Amino acid sequence: MNTQSNNGYMLIFRGTDWYKGLSPEQMQQVADQWMAWFNRLKDEGTAIAGNPLEREGKIVSGKNRVVSDGPFAESKETIGGYFLLKVNTLDEAVTIAQQCPGLPYGIRVEVRPVAGECPMVAEVRAESQLASA
Amino acid sequence: MNTPNPNGHLLLFRGNEWYKGLSSSEIQKVLDHSRAWFERLAAQGKVKGAQALVRKGAIISGRKGQIVSDGPFAESKEAIGGYLLLDVETLEEAIAIAQTSPSLAYGTSIEVRPVAEECPLAACARELAREEQLEAANV
Repeated sequence: MNTQSNNGYMLIFRGTDWYKGLSPEQMQQVADQWMAWFNRLKDEGTAIAGNPLEREGKIVSGKNRVVSDGPFAESKETIGGYFLLKVNTLDEAVTIAQQCPGLPYGIRVEVRPVAGECPMVAEVRAESQLASA
Repeated sequence: MNTPNPNGHLLLFRGNEWYKGLSSSEIQKVLDHSRAWFERLAAQGKVKGAQALVRKGAIISGRKGQIVSDGPFAESKEAIGGYLLLDVETLEEAIAIAQTSPSLAYGTSIEVRPVAEECPLAACARELAREEQLEAANV
């Protein structure tokens, strides 16, 4: 869990309609907490970017490049937004994710190291090293 | 769906190790195509940001964030491999760009999402409060 990534980490917030049972005041409160959390991280220089996403969108898939509705019909874990963090270890990123104000309401936070290069490139290099060994 | 959105659109690339069955020369070919595709979009001024994600990570859940599990690879065939933030105003244009992605031919899928101006939760709270006021006025 102490994996290093000098390229930072991405927090991906997941949850579909998790706030449906809340009153407008409660929703506003969670939204305010979330904004305050992001602003604090930004002021500290820990968060370098972040965006909420609209609850609509499409999925493009396969050889035939079919466009379908989604991801809301398919998943209980639609992505609602993300942060990009400038921290060096997975542990630090996890600690920050654990502060997410949506967690008590069922939100899940995916924590992912950002790659310095496309992981496919690394794969090709590993394979060609194997081949030449 | 045709309302211009100045905040842009996010493409999320999904597919768990979709390139596993390919030879290294095939992978190289997809890489070259993808790079050319990306560079063309960047040269057109349509890219605000893009990053690939390492194929590991953690999922945090539970009321206090106390549950830390491996993920998302154990759970999903459609883990996110990277994102591309597009500086385009309509969902249609973002979809049209997604459809030209070279990785689709290998079974990946791309989620296309409008970026919100503010937290949709705050907008939802306002909307709900307005509805409640209307209802109260109608009673």
